[in-house]
Amino acid sequence: MNRTLNVVRMQLVNRATYIWVPLIILGGTLVISLAIFGLIASSGADAEMFGGGAQAPLWYFGVVGVQALTLTFPFSQAMSVTRREFYLGTLLTAALTSFVLAVLFIVGGLIERATSGWGLGGYMFYLPWVWSQGPVVAGLFFFGLAMLFFVVGFCAATVYKRWGNLVLTIVLVSLGFVMIGAMWLVGQLRAWDDLFAFFGSLTPIALTGVMVLVGAMLAALSYRMLRRAIA
Amino acid sequence: MTAVIEVKNLTKRYRDTIAVDDVSFAIERDAIYGLLGRNGAGKTTVMSILTAQNFPTSGEVRVFGEAPYENATVLSRMCFVRESQKYPDDATPTHAFHIARLFYPNWNQAVADQLIREFRLPVKTRIKKLSRGQLSAVGVIIGIAARAEVTFFDEPYLGLDAVARQIFYDRLLEDYAEHPRTIILSSHLIDEVANLLEKVIVIDGGRIIMDEDTESIRGRASTIVGDTAVVEEFVAGREVIHRESLGRITSATVIGALSAEDRSELALAGLDVLPVSLQQLIVRQTQNAAHTDEGALR
Repeated sequence: MNRTLNVVRMQLVNRATYIWVPLIILGGTLVISLAIFGLIASSGADAEMFGGGAQAPLWYFGVVGVQALTLTFPFSQAMSVTRREFYLGTLLTAALTSFVLAVLFIVGGLIERATSGWGLGGYMFYLPWVWSQGPVVAGLFFFGLAMLFFVVGFCAATVYKRWGNLVLTIVLVSLGFVMIGAMWLVGQLRAWDDLFAFFGSLTPIALTGVMVLVGAMLAALSYRMLRRAIA
Repeated sequence: MTAVIEVKNLTKRYRDTIAVDDVSFAIERDAIYGLLGRNGAGKTTVMSILTAQNFPTSGEVRVFGEAPYENATVLSRMCFVRESQKYPDDATPTHAFHIARLFYPNWNQAVADQLIREFRLPVKTRIKKLSRGQLSAVGVIIGIAARAEVTFFDEPYLGLDAVARQIFYDRLLEDYAEHPRTIILSSHLIDEVANLLEKVIVIDGGRIIMDEDTESIRGRASTIVGDTAVVEEFVAGREVIHRESLGRITSATVIGALSAEDRSELALAGLDVLPVSLQQLIVRQTQNAAHTDEGALR
């Protein structure tokens, strides 16, 4: 257990990756969003505005997931860390940082709610649907989303580590085909309306559940692949 | 004689090439081993399988009596920094040593600090910006300061200048004398490391062609130096693996232990006997093995 916690410290030893860069991305997008809100508000528009800037640090989590494997895994092997210790420690690190990110999002959302969108009517964190079940569920939602991004990056990097670029590309292209196939099927069944209605009826907590489920499946898959990965 | 590592019938196959071919050997506690062989002989593959960084196709590996794969108790007693070791993005040597201290219970910071000074390693520079020699120095420092019970050095001298290499050999020996442990040093610069080695395992084409004490290998051949005519007379009928002449002086390396009669004959003839370079013997042996292989194929 101690060694697993040391993996967390190993991942966090370079604070730029997990702390400073995501904070800069988050701060940067916030400032840019506020500037845009300000521009629009000053032009006389009087509607509430919702920006998508909050997704920026989430994409970065996907990149971190890739780097955690491709760069830190080989070093963990030189530190005589088992694959299991590396896997658990790395996911724990992702969970910790996702938690911090979720807390920041909640704080941001609460500020936006209290100040009616920074006094400009502009919202980046306080997205009505996400917050419809309260701040705790919104926090869980952001946490689940950040973890999902991380695990997707981690899983893709594991495929790359095990079988190389070619196989990873084939997997991604195949996923694309599956998506197209599914869309075709939905079209054939004339089920687009039902599908949208279904997504529309989903509550944030239900979607969080789906994300956690998908994330857990990908995480389990990553572990099975990592067990036989060579640094 | 306790074996810390036991390998039985180890084979590693990559698609159509055999990197390690049915190899068996044992590594004893508290000794310095040379794992010698040409590039691509299978040295790194063997070491990475022993440390569970890689997987055998077949065969068995025991370290401290247990299988090393996913075995934290066994792995934490071993240290293997690869020749082409990757480090976390943007990590500096300071970061790397800080992490190593977390994982190696016997880590000695004073030793690490001394080596950092002697290698003149810039510890605040990102590792990916370091030169090849400085990169090797990072691995060498981790290997020595970790004081793991079994430590592997994989061609540790790559890119190091002559002074730095000497520092490595000196500090390794010093620290080994104070804290005996098992050290496995892979190298193709045989003569340079020869003085460190107590035991030698030579691997060629994925097979072990020599597994012996350095002393007994050395005793198997000798170099005779003296007046050309007298030397030639003495070596006539013996197997000469190397011959050098300068003016009327010739030095000839002959295979086979010298008997007491040989020695008195040499003394009488005024010829000198010098120890043989390990490198010459091993090169010779490796070439022989290659020939026998070809023979076997035909």
